[in-house]
Amino acid sequence: MANFRRFRPDDLNKLSKCNLDPFTETYELGFYLQYYAKWPSLFQVAEDQHGNIIGYIMGKLESSPEIYQFSEHYLPWHAHITAVTVAPEARRLGIGKLLTEQLEVAADANDAWFVDLFVRVSNHKAITFYKNMGYSVFRVVKDYYGEHSTDPTLSSEDAYDMRKPMKRDAKRQHVRDDGEKHEVDPSDVW
Amino acid sequence: MSSYRYGRPALKNSVDVQLQTAFSDGNWNTVIRLAAKRAATLKDPYYEAIKMCAESQLDGTAEKCAVLVAIDDLVKNKKTPDIDTIELYEWACRDFFDYEVEYADSLGPLRARWAKANPGSPLALQCVQACLEKWDLVSAQQIATSLDKAYANTADRRYMFWNITLTYLLSISPQCTDASRKVYSLLAVRHLERAADLTDNSAKLESTDRGLITEEEVGLYYRVLHSHGTKEEYISRLKSPKLGAISQLKEGRKLLFCEALDALEAWGEWDLIYNLCREALELGLEGGTSPFFVCDLQTWRKFASAASKVVDSDSALGEVQAILKRYIDIKDTASAMYKKNLSLALLETTFRLPATALNPNHDNNGLSPRVVQIGLFLDQYFERLSAFDDVKGYVAELGFEEIKTLMEDVLPKMLDEDADKARKVVLNALVCRLRYLLSTCPQTLSPQPAAVEGETQDKPFQCRFCTEPTELPCESCLKKLVVNASDAYRQITSDKELVDSIPRLDKDPRLDLALVMGNSLLKLSGLRPRTSDVGQSLWQSVEPRLFLQAVLLLDTQLNETPGDTELRLLLVQLYLLLGCASYAHRLWTPLDVKRTIQDALSPLFFDRISTLSPGLFQGGRPLMEPLRAFYKHNLSDKSPVRIWDAFSAGSYTSILDMINHDSSLRRSCTLMMTLVEERRAIRCYGGKIDCEIEQHPLTENINDDTTLVSKTDYGPFPNLESLHGPPIHEYLRLGPGLSNERSQLAFLSEQYLDLLLYKPPKDYKPAKQTEAALRDREYTLETLSRLSNSLSDFLHQPSTTSRLTPSETTYYSVFSLLSAALLIALSTPRSDPLPKTLSLLTTSIKSALTTLRSTFPSSPTNTATPTTTTTTTPTPVTTTAYPALTSLPILSSIRDTALAVRHSAAFVAAAHDRELARDRSGRSGVHRDALAEMRALDAAAGKALGEARGCVLRLKEALGEAGWMDRVLEVVFPEEGDVLPEGGEGGDKGDGGGGVGVGVGVVGKAVEEVVGGRAGAEEWAGKVVESWREGVKGWGMVRME
Repeated sequence: MANFRRFRPDDLNKLSKCNLDPFTETYELGFYLQYYAKWPSLFQVAEDQHGNIIGYIMGKLESSPEIYQFSEHYLPWHAHITAVTVAPEARRLGIGKLLTEQLEVAADANDAWFVDLFVRVSNHKAITFYKNMGYSVFRVVKDYYGEHSTDPTLSSEDAYDMRKPMKRDAKRQHVRDDGEKHEVDPSDVW
Repeated sequence: MSSYRYGRPALKNSVDVQLQTAFSDGNWNTVIRLAAKRAATLKDPYYEAIKMCAESQLDGTAEKCAVLVAIDDLVKNKKTPDIDTIELYEWACRDFFDYEVEYADSLGPLRARWAKANPGSPLALQCVQACLEKWDLVSAQQIATSLDKAYANTADRRYMFWNITLTYLLSISPQCTDASRKVYSLLAVRHLERAADLTDNSAKLESTDRGLITEEEVGLYYRVLHSHGTKEEYISRLKSPKLGAISQLKEGRKLLFCEALDALEAWGEWDLIYNLCREALELGLEGGTSPFFVCDLQTWRKFASAASKVVDSDSALGEVQAILKRYIDIKDTASAMYKKNLSLALLETTFRLPATALNPNHDNNGLSPRVVQIGLFLDQYFERLSAFDDVKGYVAELGFEEIKTLMEDVLPKMLDEDADKARKVVLNALVCRLRYLLSTCPQTLSPQPAAVEGETQDKPFQCRFCTEPTELPCESCLKKLVVNASDAYRQITSDKELVDSIPRLDKDPRLDLALVMGNSLLKLSGLRPRTSDVGQSLWQSVEPRLFLQAVLLLDTQLNETPGDTELRLLLVQLYLLLGCASYAHRLWTPLDVKRTIQDALSPLFFDRISTLSPGLFQGGRPLMEPLRAFYKHNLSDKSPVRIWDAFSAGSYTSILDMINHDSSLRRSCTLMMTLVEERRAIRCYGGKIDCEIEQHPLTENINDDTTLVSKTDYGPFPNLESLHGPPIHEYLRLGPGLSNERSQLAFLSEQYLDLLLYKPPKDYKPAKQTEAALRDREYTLETLSRLSNSLSDFLHQPSTTSRLTPSETTYYSVFSLLSAALLIALSTPRSDPLPKTLSLLTTSIKSALTTLRSTFPSSPTNTATPTTTTTTTPTPVTTTAYPALTSLPILSSIRDTALAVRHSAAFVAAAHDRELARDRSGRSGVHRDALAEMRALDAAAGKALGEARGCVLRLKEALGEAGWMDRVLEVVFPEEGDVLPEGGEGGDKGDGGGGVGVGVGVVGKAVEEVVGGRAGAEEWAGKVVESWREGVKGWGMVRME
């Protein structure tokens, strides 16, 4: 049913099965192409037998700018998961997990310390998914999201910054066990 | 980098504070004065540049252009200014790029010269960036060559590959002269061959070596080789020890493997595909890669397909099965996705095995290995949302005996009697979908003799399921399917336990059942693919009752499952067909088609929308603004979006793909649709069109030779059809989909209208009137000649007719005829005899107008009788209103064609009047007979417009009457006895049921029970009628003159 391969720009014409789902954000063209231009090996897709994209992951490799080197919030060389989505018809097959694992392989190949991502604190399903994959909460970013996904009376929602150490971080220097207790402002997050 | 992004550039630090301040404050007169003084005192040309830069900010044309003259002088005299001067100049003439000034003829060469002289400077890098962002490949390649030489054998490998990439890009770019093309091609290939040889022949490469190291470098090599090298070279390298596809796989690189399989398939190299897949899959088993690294469905399909095509296919297929078995042995370690891929691979290989291998004894046994495999697959996966899509291709390949066994033996026994109720209904919904699929497969029919016992048979086939005489699809089976699906549907809704279990399922089985019923009703209604031969109104070409029942049923289901995008899209299309554009728009909006996905998905709503419902364009935010903004935002620069990022990151294959994508987007049919639909809607309401379509920045590179591409995404449609017939979306469109032919004809006809409707600025008073008049005339005749030729060429392409609806064919034909007629009328001197061709052309135009008028259902010239099986005497207004409401694009064609004729006649008359005013002798005016011909055309067009206006008025009056909702409901659910038996009026489309298993009204009853009867349909009928009213209200405001 599925093929895993690198993203190609023509895939943008086949995103409907993923992006018509209201939980998947559609970005500007430049946003997708920026990832494809800079980190092509971290932009992977799953396609069905008709060429429709039924899942994709977009990631990047970076560190904080040098200017923040002595900040406590400085991020060393790491991979970041920007978006991962699977079409409704292709769920429960482990496609999201496979895509994430592929990104982790690329992160290791590029000598990243860890892979990180942001997730809404109310998105329990996703949090469990990532925890099962070895991710843990590193810190809580207060009011990271401009609106609350489940409570319309709230004007913001916190995010968990979750991390998984890669091979380079054999001593687990860049993860912590009590991440839920470490709160930061969105301005501290680069 | 400052200037090319066009923030005001910083002056050199050596410039004094007074001048710096004046410059940063934009006090241009002060800057000019101070810079002139400093230039005279210091003899530094930099101050001359500052002065010119400041002058360029003044209003006078001469001052503005001085910088251009300076640049031109530098370019021609091969001088190299310093980089600060270049930055200043570039900022000064930033508004001229893409219009009066080509970067490649001005700043590009200056930057290239500077970079060549200073390749070690970090600013040289900015020069290549500036040239790339202005898409000046010639200068960028020259700079890259300089950088490559300067940094050869350093750790920064990018310069070498920029050089190669840009040399290759130049070789395939129109910016390259034909003479240089071959040289650049050879250069790129040679560079890469050298690098590839170095890689293959070295034990280990360092980053300073000029070999191929990264996956992107290897990918670039193969892409260039595929484009400019030979097949033999490509294949030979594919087997090489380090750069071969298998070697790359061992390094965890899959890109080459995937691209190589595509290339080999295109060349028909089945032996190589077979070997490559085998080696790759064995590598996974032997630990050369992670076990399931290449275990994609594509690999298995290509492996099985290649095995069936090689010389010793039996042995090859045996090998495929053996490797597959080894994978199946370890599948417990695989993720669910790969397990499923393996199950599908098993299906695929079974279906590719020769019949002799599958059935050596030639038994006529339905329980074949193919059926067994489908059964085994469904046993594991029938509850999955994608189960139907996974097997439908295989089921459609089965022979009839196999089908019967699958449907009557295998599937019913899949679940035990005491199985979970929810699982049973899911399986039943899947069976219904498969049953519908089979109704689209010809093997379920057998040929029927033309005459049986002396009686002529009007149906060419006999259904092998129900034995009824039939066509494809079998109506009797479809009716039975509607009833069965309705029963299953009610079984769910009446059982609270089942309803409560739905959220736990992959998909609501009611949705599947509703889709089966909806699709069956659409087919029973007589709906056929909306191809070029669909000339009639929808209302006249289908049985309205069944069509409306389908829409009602699907709409009712959408209320239950509003989040289902497949169903929503299906309904959007159906409401557009029904003429309910405003309601379709309300369903479309929640899909939130925005930003990047607009190019592929917008045609599903916006194509032909101005012809269906121009009123939608009236209102707050312009209807197509987001689409226009998408193209403007992403195509305003000449370079592909984010291309520098790809160069900067060394993503060479990304560069090539991004360029291809950019090229497609600039040639998008959706882009042309956006421009044309908006212009048509603006004209409907007498609005002002901003600029001529040919002058529009988005059509800059589009001409007759451009192939416009449609990337419409039909992926999200729920397609229950088999590959034996057209996909469902072809049944649902207003006409043939977007195409190069239709887009080009629309582009040309808009250009024609631009010519006719052009009004010179009010203050335009040429000094030499005669000269200006001659130039205008020359331009007009040239344009008419070009348009006439181009329109005629596109119309006469063999593929064109199939890409247009009949009314579109007439519309564009009239434009072709008009441009030819005007050319004759305006170019024939009064003293010469008027060519007879003109009369032939005008006769054809009048005839085309008559044809168009006769196809519109409520036109007085149309005497066609609507097809209906209801015997309720319809009021005269509704008799004509229904067909008219579902034929509004034809009304639009009548209006647009007639207006084009009137504009043409007015254009000729105005040309004549202008000549009379200029030359009182009257000798230079338009030929008298030509004027008469044009007046006659004008009268014919006026009549057509009057009729169109009348049609709209009648529709408005009709819809203003009370009782519409009841009328619609009467069509959907006629009273007992209102349905004619088969053989009556339109009986062949009814569910009359004479002689078939399902009787009169049983289908209607099945629908009623799902939608909650007539009462349940009232709200829906109200929405339909309201949407018709809104549409006609919009039409009421359309200008008919």
